[in-house]
Amino acid sequence: MKKKTNQSSFKTDLQRLEEISTLLDTSEIDLEEAITLYEEGILLSKKCLVTLNQAELKVNELKSKIDDDENNF
Amino acid sequence: MVENTLTVTEITRLIKNDLEENFSSLSIVGEISNFKAHSSGHWYFTLKDSDAQISCTMWRGVNNYVFFSPQDGMKVTIIGRITVYPPRGNYQIDVRAMQPAGVGELQIAYEKLKEKLQREGLFASENKKELPELPMKIGIVTSIGGAALKDLLSVAKRRFPLVELFIAPCVVQGSDAAASIASAIKLLNKQDEVEVIIVARGGGSLEDLWAFNEELVAYAIYHSKISIVTGIGHEIDFTIADFVADYRAATPTAAMEILTPEMNEITTLIRNYDDEITESMFSIIDEHKIQISSILNSYGFRNPVELLKLYSQKVDTGLYKLNQSIEKFLNLKKNRAELLSSRLSAHDVQKTLAKGFVLVKQEDKFVTRAKKFQTAKPHTLIFYDNKIQIDKNYEEKN
Repeated sequence: MKKKTNQSSFKTDLQRLEEISTLLDTSEIDLEEAITLYEEGILLSKKCLVTLNQAELKVNELKSKIDDDENNF
Repeated sequence: MVENTLTVTEITRLIKNDLEENFSSLSIVGEISNFKAHSSGHWYFTLKDSDAQISCTMWRGVNNYVFFSPQDGMKVTIIGRITVYPPRGNYQIDVRAMQPAGVGELQIAYEKLKEKLQREGLFASENKKELPELPMKIGIVTSIGGAALKDLLSVAKRRFPLVELFIAPCVVQGSDAAASIASAIKLLNKQDEVEVIIVARGGGSLEDLWAFNEELVAYAIYHSKISIVTGIGHEIDFTIADFVADYRAATPTAAMEILTPEMNEITTLIRNYDDEITESMFSIIDEHKIQISSILNSYGFRNPVELLKLYSQKVDTGLYKLNQSIEKFLNLKKNRAELLSSRLSAHDVQKTLAKGFVLVKQEDKFVTRAKKFQTAKPHTLIFYDNKIQIDKNYEEKN
């Protein structure tokens, strides 16, 4: 369960990081806002790297329901 | 007249014995027509050539081993035996095995289906779905014990272990394979989270891969709401499934590689973001520094500072001048004092006293004039050689 949240948040974290990088690149940004974003970005990048380093492949085998909705032959 | 009269059952039994004994092992070539796959799993069809036809049955459990779905018009070689069905009084072939009459037959079936599906738009590029960027949940349609699955797992583990895999096991070979593959694709389509599906199979002969050339699989891929990547056989194998898929990877390994980033790539990506935002932050700070210093250097801000400098210089100058005047004044006084002192030494009192003069002192002061002398008070007479204290009153005589 915990893994699940890790996984999905990794992608959102990564997207947010990209967003922050773009935001900080635009010149019309408030200094205080920039500092807040920068701090958030640094934390996110650290978190992403930790998640990545601790990742373990998760494999689910689904039960095949052959007689589910159609029965050929 | 005939000596013996037989019942229908009797003659049928004789025919059955005769036929089943003499035709117990046959190999027959012919064209399939009226093919029916019954829901019980048995197959019913007619094998024919230009001048004759014969009914055939192929039981479920035996037809599993046929790698393709027989189609009307397909030329096949079957192996089987003749059986007689007394209730109907007919004979048929109990088919044990079926092969295409030649590789050419499969090629024809392949081309026919390809042409048909192309016409229906199953290969059209505008119908292809885009693959998700960095999928975190990948569905897999393959056989559970196959080499393909092993490859898929090891690639995922090595490249991007953060990914979560959902395996829908299926049969990838034999006549059941097509239905099994199709239902595995449908099963994965019911998992909300799965972002992309890999349909994979390891390398094999044309016959081994045939399930992926079946119409059923083609439609299942086409109707999948989730985008599909195929990785079937080797580089050189192009199946119908590959044409319908949203992306065709040459092998199972390549399919997983296309969907997962290399561990190093993603770490580098994150580090780059890190560097980028740090760089941006520095340049933002620099910009603000430049702004501040340009404000400080503006005339409005500079003027008071300049005035302050001017005044402090004036004060410094004033102080310097004052110091100089004081020094000058002190020097003047010093010179005067020296002059006086040298004059004094010229008129040394002792020299005068030695000549016989006397100094009169009263109340610590020299009495220089007679009118200043106080008769009622004591006084001191200072001679050259000594002092004389006179305490008694001096009576002035007129």
